[in-house]
Amino acid sequence: MKDNGRILEVRDLYKDFSGLEVLAGVSFQVAQGERHAVIGPNGAGKTTLFNVITGKYKPSGGSILFQGRDITGRPPHQLCRMKISRSFQITNAFQELTVFENVRSGVRCLHGLRYHFFRRVDRDVAVNRRTEELLHLVGLGSVADAPVSTLSYGQQRALEIALTLSTDPELILLDEPTAGMTREETAEAIQLIDRVTRGKTLIIIEHDMDVVFSLADRISVLHYGRILASDRPHVIRDDQRVKDAYLGEG
Amino acid sequence: MRRRSGNPGSVFPGIALVGGLLAAPLFLPLYHVNLLTEVIVFALYAVSYNLLLGYAGLLSFGHAMFFGTGAYVTAVALAHLPGLSVGSAILLSVAAATLAGVVTGALLLRHKGSYFALLTLAFNALFYAVATKWHSVTGGDDGLSVNRPNLDFLGVHLDLSDITTFYYFALITVGALIGYCWHFTHTAMGRTVLLVRENEERMKFLGYDTNISRLLLFTFTGALAGCAGSYYALFFEFTSISAISIEMTTTVLLMTFIGGTGSFLGPVLGALVYTLLHDKLSDITDRWPLIMGLIFIVMVLYVPGGLSGLIVSIRERLAGTAGKNAAQPLEGRKP
Ligand SMILES: Nc1ncnc2c1ncn2[C@@H]1O[C@H](COP(=O)(O)OP(=O)(O)O)[C@@H](O)[C@H]1O
Ligand SMILES: [Mg+2]
Repeated sequence: MKDNGRILEVRDLYKDFSGLEVLAGVSFQVAQGERHAVIGPNGAGKTTLFNVITGKYKPSGGSILFQGRDITGRPPHQLCRMKISRSFQITNAFQELTVFENVRSGVRCLHGLRYHFFRRVDRDVAVNRRTEELLHLVGLGSVADAPVSTLSYGQQRALEIALTLSTDPELILLDEPTAGMTREETAEAIQLIDRVTRGKTLIIIEHDMDVVFSLADRISVLHYGRILASDRPHVIRDDQRVKDAYLGEG
Repeated sequence: MRRRSGNPGSVFPGIALVGGLLAAPLFLPLYHVNLLTEVIVFALYAVSYNLLLGYAGLLSFGHAMFFGTGAYVTAVALAHLPGLSVGSAILLSVAAATLAGVVTGALLLRHKGSYFALLTLAFNALFYAVATKWHSVTGGDDGLSVNRPNLDFLGVHLDLSDITTFYYFALITVGALIGYCWHFTHTAMGRTVLLVRENEERMKFLGYDTNISRLLLFTFTGALAGCAGSYYALFFEFTSISAISIEMTTTVLLMTFIGGTGSFLGPVLGALVYTLLHDKLSDITDRWPLIMGLIFIVMVLYVPGGLSGLIVSIRERLAGTAGKNAAQPLEGRKP
């Protein structure tokens, strides 16, 4: 992948939860259009890193630049409108509502149908069309009218991706999208992710090393709240420190 | 488009209701026409409360501060501004309640859950205290009598002191407002509010400023309650301290719970049942609040979905379609 400028730059990021230092000076960069994997053992702080980048938590120190702009500490809804979107490790949807309305809520936000007191949500042709498109893209077209709570685990994970894409992001952060899937399901999910994130920038937290090495342009290894290494897959594969800290374990 | 969330099953009873209400003065004695006017006024109050509680999931014990503000503004405006029209008095009330909603909402909505509920109670007490102490304006414990002016609008002259005429005036204007509230639950804002209740975090990550949506809704329901309060003052031709008291909050809570928060029309039914019960019981005994309280306890314990929830489950059982509604878009809070 050509390096056509940075889309994201994380500088010396710190985050502690009442004394527990989870991020201890994280720095890395992501280029426009890159597929960047974040790996590291459980509890390394990967999800926390996503939470801080996407505005769920304010960092205790450091800064985050998106397209050259300082976005440190901005709330999620603003970051969403700046075209940053993230998925959750545990499906985070509207369980009692239909799959269609779930995805529509992201789409209509993009179309400015947020707080309108007169316009109905269900009569906007462009919003409906885009929602249908997204559902077909992730293979949920047939369950559009079902409440989320009735979906299978795999379908819920697909919905999580559809929700993440629904706001038409440029920078997509996926937190363990294949967690809990079988090998075949994982392969399918990765194909889907590969397809739907083309032309966008992707940061993905993933445990399956085959997937990581085949999908990613670059890999960052997070270990005890620090970046152990951030480089191309073949360099990471041969890095002795990474082997000792993480790859060797598996 | 197949994506219509309007549920035909809930439209027909609506039409039957409107038809029955339009014809009511033809077969009801004046006393009951008057009672029905009261029901209509309280229906708006209860619908506004259900938008807050049922749709947005915000438990407020301070809704009477807006209702009372509306009632007092109408009473004071009509007393001090000679020649003020009915419509202007109502609009002034709505404006005042809107203002009260924005200001109190901005202060209250920083807090969540039980803190929010307790603070609404405290604010209601504050409004009540102001109304009691500010004797020169509100009349304190004596209250204010209201002169219901006649309606002169676009060449239409209506004598609103006539019971039936006032009934139709209330039915048509308040009915239109309740109709709009029904529409509101299908609008972008209406759905946003419900989705925030379901999963606020996800809404933030989908680009919604949930603080704004809550404040907008809180203000909107406050304005509706203020409007109901204005009609209340016009209806009784009197505004007393009870309009802004905690009991007026309890009243709307009771109506909403009796009718059920799970559907749009539930609170309308609640307003009807409450008003009729109140009318009958207060004839029989002075201890009617005790009986109301017992009914409330029974409803909360044994019929958490309220009367409307009861009707829906009976209908489903009769039709043998229990569970078929599962895929239907969620409305108010399910029991
Ligand atoms: N909101 C929080 N409050 C307190 N501790 C937290 C919070 N979020 C995460 N942690 C802690 O931070 C550490 C890293 O968690 P996490 O970022 O979820 O790791 P990973 O995603 O790499 O498995 C864990 O020890 C976890 O308990
Ligand atoms: Mg994690």
